[in-house]
Amino acid sequence: MGLKLENIAKSYKDRVILDQFSLEFKPGSITCLFGPSGCGKTTLLNLMGGITRADSGSVSGFPEEKISFIFQETRLLPWKTVLGNVLFPLIGKLPGSQAVETARKFIRLVGLENEEAFYPYQLSGGMKQRVSIARAFAFPGSLILMDEAFQNLDNTLKYNILDSFLKIWKEDGRTVIFVTHDIDEAVKLGQEIIFLNHNPLQIIRSVSTSEGLSEAVKSAVREIYYP
Amino acid sequence: MAANYPMNNSSVRNRIISLCAIVILVIGWEWLSRSFNSRQILPGPLDTLNSLINVAGKPDFLSSLGFTLLRGLIGFLFAFTGAILIGIPAGLNSGIEAGFKPILITLRSTPVVAIILLALIWFKAEQVPVFIGFLTMFPILAINISQGIRETDTAFIQMAHLYHIKKRRILTDIYWPSILPYLYSGISTAIGFGWRSVIIGEVLSQPRYGIGAMMQDAQSYLLVSEVIAWTVIAILVSAVFEWIIRLVEKRSIRWKQWA
Repeated sequence: MGLKLENIAKSYKDRVILDQFSLEFKPGSITCLFGPSGCGKTTLLNLMGGITRADSGSVSGFPEEKISFIFQETRLLPWKTVLGNVLFPLIGKLPGSQAVETARKFIRLVGLENEEAFYPYQLSGGMKQRVSIARAFAFPGSLILMDEAFQNLDNTLKYNILDSFLKIWKEDGRTVIFVTHDIDEAVKLGQEIIFLNHNPLQIIRSVSTSEGLSEAVKSAVREIYYP
Repeated sequence: MAANYPMNNSSVRNRIISLCAIVILVIGWEWLSRSFNSRQILPGPLDTLNSLINVAGKPDFLSSLGFTLLRGLIGFLFAFTGAILIGIPAGLNSGIEAGFKPILITLRSTPVVAIILLALIWFKAEQVPVFIGFLTMFPILAINISQGIRETDTAFIQMAHLYHIKKRRILTDIYWPSILPYLYSGISTAIGFGWRSVIIGEVLSQPRYGIGAMMQDAQSYLLVSEVIAWTVIAILVSAVFEWIIRLVEKRSIRWKQWA
C-alpha cells in the first residue's frame, strides 16, 4: 500500500499553507522534505501523523500505518529511566519479556547500554536524542516521522547520531520521512530529497542522492534558495 | 554532571543566622517574662521547659497527642480521597473545574471559626475536629491536584496518543508523576493548616482527649506555662510532619536533581 498525499489543502486562518499539494512516498526508503523554516513542513508531517486534518484532499496509507515519531524536543518522560522511556510505547503491544528484550536491543544500538538506568536529567542533549531514536525504532511500526530531530546538537555530535540512526535503519529498513532545513542532515540521511518552497508549499525539485552526489545537492540548494 | 556538595557556604551561613535568631528569641522571651515580673502571666523559657517535662509525664499525655494525631489523620485521609476524586477530573475538564472552583474557593476563604461554630451544632464533640480538618485540607489539596493536572506538558500527552497509549496508562504514567510535585506541596500546606484547625476544633468542641482540649483545660486554670508547653508540642509535631513529607517526597521523586 502506497503512502500518498493527494490534492491537499490546508489553511490556518487567512494563511494558505497547502493548496492542491500531492506527494507520494517510496516505502522502505528515507525521504527528506527540505525547505526553509516556516514553509509548512511540520504541517505536512502532522497531516501524515494524523495530528492535524486537511481541509480537503486525501491522505492515504498513513492512517493504516503504525507510526513512530522523533521530535525536536525529545519528549522523554523525566520520571522514567532510559529503559522505561524506550519501553513506554511497547507495553501492551509486545509480551513483557519480549518488550524488555526489544527495548534493550535498541538501547544497545544507540550505545546507551551503560546508561539504561539513568533518568533524563542525568543525560546530555545528544544522549536524550539517542534515547528518542531508540524509542522510535523499538516501537513495532512501519514508518518513522522526524521533525527537525537533530537541530539542537553540535556538528560532531549530530554526525555521530546520524551514523547510529543509519546503522539501525539499515537493519530495520522501515520507511522514514523527515523534515529539516539542515542540508548536511538532508544529504547524510535522505535517499530522496524533496526541495520545497512556501506560500503555499510547493515542490520545486526532487533529487535522489547518495554520498557521491552531495556536491550536486548543495549546488541545487544554492541555485534554488540563494539565486 | 555537576559535583553535588551536601552544603555550600551560603547555606552554612544561613543556618548560623537561623540559629542566632532562635537564641535571640529565647533571650528576648526570658527578658520579657522577667520584666512582667509574674511567672503566672508570662512564664520564661525554663518554666516552660519544666511544664513541658511535667506535661509529657502526665498519664493523659499520650492519649491526648494520639487522639489529635488520629483526628488529623482521618481528616487528611478523607480530604485526600475527596481531592483526588474531584481534583483529577477538574484538572482534565475545564467544565468540571468551573463547577467546583467557586465551592473550593469559598471553602478556602471561610474563617475556620465560622465552620467550627456550625460543626458544633451538627456533629458530636469527637467528630468536630475531624470535620474541620477535612474542610481545611480538602480545598487546598483539590486545587493543587487540578493545577498539577492542568500544568502537565501537553507534548507528553500528544506523544502518548501518537504511540497509541491507553487512557489508563496516560493517567498513571504521565499525569500522576507530573502532579506529584504539586501534590507534595499541597500536602505540606494542607497539613500545616489542617493541624492548626484540628487543634482549634478541639479547643472549642472539648473532646475527652486532645491537644486542644488540654490547652483549653490549662487555660481555664490560668496555667499559662502549660498552655505554652502544649503549643510547643504542637509546633514540634508539625515540624516532624514537614520533615516526613520532605523525606517521602525525595524518596518518591528520584527523577529530579535535588538541590
